[in-house]
Amino acid sequence: MTTLAASAAKVRQPLGRTKAIGWFIVVVGLFTMFGMGVGTGTAPHSTLTFTPIDVSHGAPWHLANLTLPTEWTLVLLGAVIVALGAEVLVRRLAKGAMVRVGLMAIVFLVAVLVWASRQPGPSQVPFINVTAILVGSAAITMILIYGSLSGILCERAGVVNIAIEGQFLGGYLVGEMIDSATNNWLLATVGGLVIGALLGWLLAFLAIRYLSDQIIVGVVIVTMFTGLASYFNSWVLTPYPNLNNGNIASNLAIPGLMKIPIIGPTFFDETGFFYLMLVLVGLVSFALFRTRWGLRVRAVGEHPQAAAAVGISVERTRYVNVILGGAVAGVGGVAFAAIQGQFTPSITSGFGYIALAAMIFGRWRPSGAVAACTLFGVSAYLAYNLQSYQVPISTEILLMFPYLITIAVSAGLVGRVRPPAADGIPYSRE
Amino acid sequence: MPSARRLWDRYRSASPITIALLALVLGLVVGAVIIIATTPAILNAWRGTFHSWGAPGHALKVTFDNVGAAYRSIFTGSIVDPPQFWHSVTTGRGWTASLTPLSETLTYAVPLVIASIAVGITFQTGLFNIGANGQAILGGIAGVAVATLVHLPMALHLPLTLLAGIAGGVVGGAIPGLLKAYTGAHEVIVTLMFNYVASYFMLFTLLSTPLQLPNQTNAISRTMPGGTQLAPLFGTSSGLRVNYGIVVALAVTLFAIWLLDRSSIGFEFRMTGANPHAARASGINARRTLVISFLISGGLAGLAGVAWVAGTTHYIDQNFLQGSAGIGFTAITVALLGRNRPIGIVWGSLLFAALEVGGSNMQANTGIPYDLATVIQSAIVIFVATPVLVKEIFRLRALRAESVKVATAGWGS
Amino acid sequence: MRLELRGITKKFGSLTANDHIDLIVEPGQIHCLLGENGAGKSTLMNVLFGLLQADEGEILIDGEPVRLANSGDAVRRGIGMVHQHFMLVPVFSVAENVVLGFEPTRSLDRLDYARARENIRSVSREFGLEVDPDATVESLPIGLQQRVEIIKALSHDAQLLILDEPTAVLTPQEADALMAIMRSLAASGKSILFISHKLKEVRQVSDVITVIRSGRVIGSVPPTASENELAAMMVGREVSLVVQKSAATPREPVLEVRDLVVRDDRGLAVVDGVSLEVHAGEIVALAGVQGNGQTELVEAITGLRHVESGSVVLAGRDITNHSPREILDAGLGHIPEDRQRDGVVLSMSVADNMVLNTPRRAPFARHGTRNLRAVRDHAETLVESFDVRTSSVEAPLSSLSGGNQQKVIVARELSRPLEVLVASQPTRGLDVGSIEYVHREIVRVRDDGHAVLIVSSELDEVMALGDRVAVMFQGRITGIVDPSTSREDVGLLMAGSAPAGTR
Repeated sequence: MTTLAASAAKVRQPLGRTKAIGWFIVVVGLFTMFGMGVGTGTAPHSTLTFTPIDVSHGAPWHLANLTLPTEWTLVLLGAVIVALGAEVLVRRLAKGAMVRVGLMAIVFLVAVLVWASRQPGPSQVPFINVTAILVGSAAITMILIYGSLSGILCERAGVVNIAIEGQFLGGYLVGEMIDSATNNWLLATVGGLVIGALLGWLLAFLAIRYLSDQIIVGVVIVTMFTGLASYFNSWVLTPYPNLNNGNIASNLAIPGLMKIPIIGPTFFDETGFFYLMLVLVGLVSFALFRTRWGLRVRAVGEHPQAAAAVGISVERTRYVNVILGGAVAGVGGVAFAAIQGQFTPSITSGFGYIALAAMIFGRWRPSGAVAACTLFGVSAYLAYNLQSYQVPISTEILLMFPYLITIAVSAGLVGRVRPPAADGIPYSRE
Repeated sequence: MPSARRLWDRYRSASPITIALLALVLGLVVGAVIIIATTPAILNAWRGTFHSWGAPGHALKVTFDNVGAAYRSIFTGSIVDPPQFWHSVTTGRGWTASLTPLSETLTYAVPLVIASIAVGITFQTGLFNIGANGQAILGGIAGVAVATLVHLPMALHLPLTLLAGIAGGVVGGAIPGLLKAYTGAHEVIVTLMFNYVASYFMLFTLLSTPLQLPNQTNAISRTMPGGTQLAPLFGTSSGLRVNYGIVVALAVTLFAIWLLDRSSIGFEFRMTGANPHAARASGINARRTLVISFLISGGLAGLAGVAWVAGTTHYIDQNFLQGSAGIGFTAITVALLGRNRPIGIVWGSLLFAALEVGGSNMQANTGIPYDLATVIQSAIVIFVATPVLVKEIFRLRALRAESVKVATAGWGS
Repeated sequence: MRLELRGITKKFGSLTANDHIDLIVEPGQIHCLLGENGAGKSTLMNVLFGLLQADEGEILIDGEPVRLANSGDAVRRGIGMVHQHFMLVPVFSVAENVVLGFEPTRSLDRLDYARARENIRSVSREFGLEVDPDATVESLPIGLQQRVEIIKALSHDAQLLILDEPTAVLTPQEADALMAIMRSLAASGKSILFISHKLKEVRQVSDVITVIRSGRVIGSVPPTASENELAAMMVGREVSLVVQKSAATPREPVLEVRDLVVRDDRGLAVVDGVSLEVHAGEIVALAGVQGNGQTELVEAITGLRHVESGSVVLAGRDITNHSPREILDAGLGHIPEDRQRDGVVLSMSVADNMVLNTPRRAPFARHGTRNLRAVRDHAETLVESFDVRTSSVEAPLSSLSGGNQQKVIVARELSRPLEVLVASQPTRGLDVGSIEYVHREIVRVRDDGHAVLIVSSELDEVMALGDRVAVMFQGRITGIVDPSTSREDVGLLMAGSAPAGTR
């Protein structure tokens, strides 16, 4: 299933792109060192703080603020980026190059943050709250991981689930309504699971039974559900506002562990959805790569005819996985509602698609997807966070950042990842 | 009755047109189900029926009244309101009110035809341009910029405004096209992401550039001067919004017919779309073909954006082509409905434009949100894309229409 | 196991693929099912293996009627199948492939790899089929992959083994080894149903030969039947595999390939220093087992694959790494190996397919606008002169039979200004009539003074058609011989060892 450009790209020298990526990283590093670092003027400094914003559970520890000389910190961070680029160039990393780009993006955003918060400087916020950034990033990352896991479950069985965005939206809407009505996130989760599974079933039904183009059907399902959610919003939620005023889910802190500085608030003082996500990552990894079930699923995604020849039902496997994937994305939508609150029609803002890109970046593996989602999550949060620092970049330009990085990553990846061989190809017996 | 017999046979043989009509019926059924399931008045009536073990007569009546009112509003709001029309015919007055529904449908169909042809061209090449909306936004911005910020004699100004719209869209089409050709990045992801980038870029231009209406803090642009607008077809005094955009849409349709059916490059597009391997072996440069296809598609999408602004609002604000107004997304469904052929797309656009315009009328009359139109449209397309399903529902005999298998093979990596 | 098929009938729409087929395989017997491509062999095997359901008839195992709803049923009944296109997941290990569908597990549904390996080792020991259980299948050579397929069937305790065209991808020597394995399996009591269209190997190994044609059983004969007899049964009339042609009169070289190195998608040098000359007025036939670089060599010549080093010269012009467009315009005619993939667009009309690689050339187009009348006239002329059977030139190509689709390609390529014709597997999957036709046309091209390069994995075709025969093995030309050379010697070249007396 080589497409046009893939076959055209085959003629190319793979080294050329690696070189381009390497030099790009080096240029960004040099810009950080000399464009931002050396130019900061009269010895400003940047301050890092570590106290979490939400201290309701009481921060039993106190880390002193860390004050850094802005100029030298930027030069150092720039040097790190240059080193990443040099590594790509010297070792001719074909496979790891995009990982270095990801690291570069994060280091660069940290550098921008350090630069933006310098004092004396234009910023009203005189410090960087490291813990708050990590907590905020963890929330976005969690949403993306739910989406990626959904994608993995479907694509490992050979079905492209581009409807994750719609399943997010469905889970969000239903979860928010149920929580508003019952104040019970468990019920909301069940509701999100059901709606996600239903949308998964719809995709499976059209893609498996009628052999339709999976991407097109997925996109149309998203369009349909976006319309339906809008309709619902104005026809039901507006007249009954008490169906759309649920609380943000409260955190379930893990005693003891939550008291570890920085790490505690990030990983052990989270909503139940965060822990559920961690469990799901482990479960999907284990099930896909250790169990009989996983072997069969992967066989169906790689070579459905071979699976069918030993009596495995390709259709049933795909149905089950797409419905499971839909359910996971639906729960992801509920998790979204649990951290974001009120529903509005375009609230998911393409996160389902970014999750899908993260899944590709993560090579269709849960562990890889976690890494990729973390990259996207952290960079998205940093980009949003920069708004509060009066950086001389428009808010709107900053908001583009997560989407731009997704485009950049998908451009840099191709030919370096290998999807399940039957991914996206309808299977018919005759 | 041989002719009735023939009609029946034609119905049972499931031609693409039969399938499309039946899909429309099924789409309306889906819409009705949604109305029933979400409208308190109907639900209350049924609840009453169940509680009192009464005959369902009242509940049925309430259901039919509500659904009927909704669909009647869609019809009268988009095509013609018979009593009003009769009034005009007998008295010779009130023609504006009588013709407004049709005028609105045609007005809305103009950008839809253009954008859907844009999407259809990439589909024919085996590519999926989900970014038509973003490209249309860029086209709108570029058009408004040239119209409001450049001063030119009128004879040049309108053509240049439209050209600027095309150019804006070409830029938007070049990004996924070149990225796919030179890095292999999958156009679906790139165009999906690009839509968001374009929306934020629009906000940026409306808030932080000279395009913003002076002395404003809101995201709103300057208004296009009269000479750059697509004037109403029957004059400003007619009160009908239908405008010379129709001429543009017609020209685009003719261009598309030539491009796809008669031109060499269009032949190469279709070949590449139908069998990329054979295209390559026959000496077609896949990279060049896909880039050109995306450039043309982007340019037309941009033209759709500028044709919409120049023909209707004459300015853009933060709601331009956002949410339900995103014609670039509707265009995907129209292209699928019209099987990526220009004439089919024109019919599909008229139908979907009618649903949108009628949907607004429905909201005004019955309160049912016009987003229902989007749901009905998507449902129609799902049925059109899976003709076997329609065939099974209606127990048709043969099947001449094929399942949609247009673009997009996996992730192409 | 004793297998009996009674009156098996399978229809696809109006086509009857199997028409009341009766067949009996005795325990320990090697039973060959002989027939042309499209005779219905594969359909019958798919019915027997539960992948398709018969419309009529019944299957009896040891006298007892059975219903095989899916392949799992068949496997449980002791039927194992080695498919023509291996049913192996390339990225899985040997062990994972062998146990797939019948996995030993521990608690929590975990796979028990230790037991899986042990299963394989015990089957390997019992039947002498060595293979590393932890190797990834895609890293194994074709012969070993086939061995994995056999182990897979045996590990499910198959009593009847179906081998579908098993030698198509093997060298003669590998094929001999397979025959030995088949005999030893039969000796241990397994029944074997062996599907083939190659007369020689069938006579060599079978106990009984059943010939089918157009979905019907024509008859069963012992292996002592002569080849001519079998061929006549297969095709329904006496055929000559000899191509009528005069001696070649080669002139100047037209296609010159020098030290060509080409890499496949995985980066392996599958064409590794090939040099070859094709002269005007001669047919050079390239023989070899599939997968020894012939496909990539042709792709490199036609501009579809990047040339790593070396050169390709066409009529004095260096066309190395030129685009397919330039190479086609330089006078290269190409009949591609996979014609439905590379040669035609099935959804387009016959007329459009006739100008597939010349759409912009006058008179078919002018200033970017096509002249549909000229295209149609051109197609009508070609349909007439090449005897293409089609309802109209506007009919979609998919409505034509395989032979007529091939005729469209041949007509198109021969109607362009030509220096050299490169034809890959030009008769694969065609009926006998079409084969004769294509062969005649190829000889005519030669006699018109053009150079012709034929690539075929059918040894008979290569020997009958070639004026010189080049043999390719593992990316190299192992010898260029006269077509009068014995088949055994060519077989040795195909296996990479040079017999005495060749260059």
